[in-house]
Amino acid sequence: MTQHASPPRDSTGKVPSAGAAPGWRGLMARADVRTLSLLGVLAALIVIGGITKPDEFLDTRNLQLVLTQGSVIGVVTVGMTFVIISGGIDLSVGAIVALASVWATTVATQEYGFAGILFTAVIVGVGCGLVNGVLIAYGAMVPFIATLAMLASARGLALQITDGKTQIVTVPSVLDLGERDAYVLGIPPLVMVFAVVTIIGWLVLNRTTFGRRSVAVGGNAEAARLAGIDVRRQRLYLYLLSGLCCGIAAFMLVILSGSGQNTNGNLYELDAIAAAIIGGTLLSGGRGTITGSVLGVLIFTTITNIFALNNLQSDVQQIAKGAIIVAAVLVQRRTASTT
Amino acid sequence: MPELTSRRGLLFGTAAIGAGALLVGCTSNESDDEPAANDQPAADDKPGKAVTIGFAGPQADHGWLNAINDNAKSRAKKYSDVTLEITEGSNDTAAQIGQIETLINKKVDVLVVLPADGKALTQVGLKAMRAGIPVINLDRIFNTPQAYRCWIGGDNYGMGLNAGHYIGEKLKGKSNATVIELAGLDNLELTQQRTKGFDDALKNYPNIKKVARQAAEFTVESGQAKMAQLLQAQSKFDALWNHDDDQGVGALRAIEQAGRDDFLMVGGAGALSAFQAIKKDDGVLKATVLYPPTMAASAIDLARALGQSKGIGGMAEFEIPASVTLYSAVVDKDNVDQYMPTGFK
Amino acid sequence: MAPEPPLLSMSGITKSFPGVRALDGVDLDVQAGEVHCLLGQNGAGKSTLIKVLAGAHQPDTGTIRWRGEEVTLRSPIAAMRLGIATIYQELDLVEHLSVAENVHLGHEPTAAGFVVRGKAARSSTAQLLERLGHPEIDPARLVGDLSAAHQQIVSMARALSHDVRLIVMDEPSAALDPDEVDNLFRIVGDLTSAGVAVVYISHRLEEIRRIGDRVTVLKDGRAVAGGLPAKTTPTRDVVAMMTGRNVEYVFPERPTTDATAGKPLLEVRGLARHGEFEPLDLSVRPGEIVGLAGLVGSGRSEILETIYGARKPSAGHVLVDGRALRPGSVRAAVRAGLGLAPEERKAQALLMLESVTRNVSVSSMSRFSRGGWIDRAAELGAARAATRELSLRPDNPSVPVRTLSGGNQQKAVLARWLLRGCRVLLLDEPTRGVDVGARAELYAVVRRLADEGLAVLLVSSEVPEVLGLADRVLVLREGRVVHTAPARELDEHRVLDLVMEGSPAS
Repeated sequence: MTQHASPPRDSTGKVPSAGAAPGWRGLMARADVRTLSLLGVLAALIVIGGITKPDEFLDTRNLQLVLTQGSVIGVVTVGMTFVIISGGIDLSVGAIVALASVWATTVATQEYGFAGILFTAVIVGVGCGLVNGVLIAYGAMVPFIATLAMLASARGLALQITDGKTQIVTVPSVLDLGERDAYVLGIPPLVMVFAVVTIIGWLVLNRTTFGRRSVAVGGNAEAARLAGIDVRRQRLYLYLLSGLCCGIAAFMLVILSGSGQNTNGNLYELDAIAAAIIGGTLLSGGRGTITGSVLGVLIFTTITNIFALNNLQSDVQQIAKGAIIVAAVLVQRRTASTT
Repeated sequence: MPELTSRRGLLFGTAAIGAGALLVGCTSNESDDEPAANDQPAADDKPGKAVTIGFAGPQADHGWLNAINDNAKSRAKKYSDVTLEITEGSNDTAAQIGQIETLINKKVDVLVVLPADGKALTQVGLKAMRAGIPVINLDRIFNTPQAYRCWIGGDNYGMGLNAGHYIGEKLKGKSNATVIELAGLDNLELTQQRTKGFDDALKNYPNIKKVARQAAEFTVESGQAKMAQLLQAQSKFDALWNHDDDQGVGALRAIEQAGRDDFLMVGGAGALSAFQAIKKDDGVLKATVLYPPTMAASAIDLARALGQSKGIGGMAEFEIPASVTLYSAVVDKDNVDQYMPTGFK
Repeated sequence: MAPEPPLLSMSGITKSFPGVRALDGVDLDVQAGEVHCLLGQNGAGKSTLIKVLAGAHQPDTGTIRWRGEEVTLRSPIAAMRLGIATIYQELDLVEHLSVAENVHLGHEPTAAGFVVRGKAARSSTAQLLERLGHPEIDPARLVGDLSAAHQQIVSMARALSHDVRLIVMDEPSAALDPDEVDNLFRIVGDLTSAGVAVVYISHRLEEIRRIGDRVTVLKDGRAVAGGLPAKTTPTRDVVAMMTGRNVEYVFPERPTTDATAGKPLLEVRGLARHGEFEPLDLSVRPGEIVGLAGLVGSGRSEILETIYGARKPSAGHVLVDGRALRPGSVRAAVRAGLGLAPEERKAQALLMLESVTRNVSVSSMSRFSRGGWIDRAAELGAARAATRELSLRPDNPSVPVRTLSGGNQQKAVLARWLLRGCRVLLLDEPTRGVDVGARAELYAVVRRLADEGLAVLLVSSEVPEVLGLADRVLVLREGRVVHTAPARELDEHRVLDLVMEGSPAS
């Protein structure tokens, strides 16, 4: 009887909404409430920025600036989102970015030019991710502890490599990527990398078996194991992925700052976790979106930008950042519970 | 475990060499002291009584701090009568206290301490003084003069003051001139002192107005990020003072990326890369205000003099002074060659 | 009849959640000193009703009267102040605190207002435990170290540490052994004779017969019958009211053809785990259902999980189609065609935040993907086909699995293995938390799967279930098989004797 009562379905199995809903509204209806509330916060920030500093804020250059400044931490956050969705945590992201960026900018590495720097940054990132992954997946270490240990040792190694000195990049092809001349149709290359990483991250999470397994491991690791998923291998891959994102971010940071320094990536772990959390990722795992995390990053970067444009000092910025985290989580919980 | 044993072996070795040096010092150098001009013994380059100097500094995770260590080490090496016991740098107050206590227990002759946090390390400074080990307090000052025999350090207020005066003179005659400030870590007192000095100097120039200030974190990354924002916020200004040449690397990168060259920039501290840019004179950076890491070398000199119970040359007193404040000289194109060797990486 | 107003009187209670009307005008009267049983299938509204009573949910409409006066139960504390205590099925104890600390949590005896008087707390706890027939539980022990049965006693002690007039017990016997159940009933008797009312929720009709005074039956958020006499109402009537139909053929008929002739699909040879079960041999042929009967602690679940590779055996092999599986590897077992429906569905099988589709497809993702890329239309289609085949309700695999009833959640697990093309199905307590009406449907599903050629190994603590569903039965006692026989040659009495009598050797 119930079969007769249910509406007809199209080939994809979705229940068509009543009447010919325009595509836009259909999209809005499907987008989840959290994403909409984040877009609301971002819109409110844009209004605030536009009112307080209309000339400086609503400016193509400023848009390029905000996106560029968000792109390095953004790439790190995409990797972190996967790790948190799987029920883990990666406290070592900032330290890995530091280590990868200094290793990639030593005099010896710079001799190999663009490819040498890129290759080194990525390999160091992946290598650190591998160590994290092996310790967590096969050494049965708690992610918090394993990545905390990696944080300490990667920072230490970075300091040892640099000896506290700033390593200036002298490879023109790397430096050029951070200049205005490299913008394509007004889009900075770093922003393009961020966009590509975001899109790939979204596709991997939502359209691939890898993404499904990550969510399953985070939602219920025991159920995933008993369903035949190789939970340990999945965990290994997840930390590798986070390390890879750190390596890419390190290369981006080298382009952006034109140097490598052991203090690079300072507190990235907290920024990335905060962005993922306000983006709606469950710290206990099993739920999260790339869209939310990226919006989280953009919200933080936009706040920093508005504060700087209005010449507000770092004390106020820090207080506001804390307040935003609390407010965003509260707003989300509210909107989620009323629907 | 093999690591531990080898390390212990290394320590033993160092101690043995130290003891050897002490013996040599006692037997051969007693009579070589020459009277100073005022008939009082003043420390000079000639070997004197052997002195063991304990050195404890923060973690050298920054160009300037690294230069401090290098200066101390190379100065100590210059003297055959000086043995330097240098601890691993630490930013953790508790760890640094532990290291200093170890040096006290080893009964070094003089201590040179650059505290991670001056106030927090006051007690251990007092402890050393009570144990009869004179302390040379380097740069970050203890809470009370009782905790050190001599303080030597830079002048953060003077740094801001000299930067302000330099910019003021350069913009003289320009009406409605504007300046911006890229400060260092805002939660350090020294940052506030530098800003205060800068603001006080600018008061002498009614034609100049400071229109913006953002704090970076002494890192290249933060320098780039904050400078990029400042450039976006201020479409036109005449001068920029950046507190620190390390973050200045990032700031210069942001300036380059924004394609701006319509202002004058003054740096701070005295990094080699800044000196080179000033010498080249093809960018916005025209000068930098010193916060000289050579103070560590001077501290070794003072410690040696103290250990040998001498005064310092060129001064009439029997004893070394109780405090030495270094001058924050402005280095620009005219005098950069003179300072080039002191520039740190 | 009643000169006084009832102790508790709820009338016209409604409560809606997004998409669900959980309660639709429920009335409930409870007299002081009676055991009032609440019956209903999963999803009938029992949990919501007791949460309203405990102050954890606020009703949308309706009134609650307490000793004749209208009250609002704004919070669990408000309910507790009136004297209403609730013992939930999922015990809400703090494992790392001691028994006494748990019992007095939130109302510790204190000196000077804040210093906890540990000794006083321990001695009053000891008194409570004695009253509950368990003086052997040490008030100073950590709750996490206690057995499930003892934890339940602690939970009850916590309820009694308040001045209670009404206790709600949500399936209190589920985790208990038979003699523990007897003790529970004695406690219930003591309470009611002291004038305390008990609202008792259970799936087990025979318990309700033993201790209940009156029965209220819930179905689809409504009270279909209120205050029926518990001892005299015929079982068939009660079941009919719960399920809305007669349950005459609970178990499906066995096939007439003899399955014992075929070649075994699953073979277990000398499989053992130290301290859990002794070397075991068994075989299951395609089309056959083999049952393992035994009490809690007889090693049933451990055997199933070891066959599945979730536990590593200390000896022995598992063979599928004559080929040995790598021991201790779930993936090897799944690849060879094994599927497990575990005892703890929510903890061990389901991804509660996910849709039915994703729960069903999780073990077969490679079938809908190329190079790791998932064809979501094919996935949804296959999930729909698998769930339809098992008549999973609602007929929309896009709904979150957590919104399904227990029986339908179990069907989602079975659909997972059906979709995977599994050939050997291991069922651990397949009807736990599934109500009577839905059970029959599940039995039919299992039999049909066997008829289609699957080999089924079934574990259940309910002897009638094993006897009714299985073709062959292995009786377990303390990790050892004590008897093997075709199901039709056994009856409940005989099995219980085998399970409980001391082994001849000892």
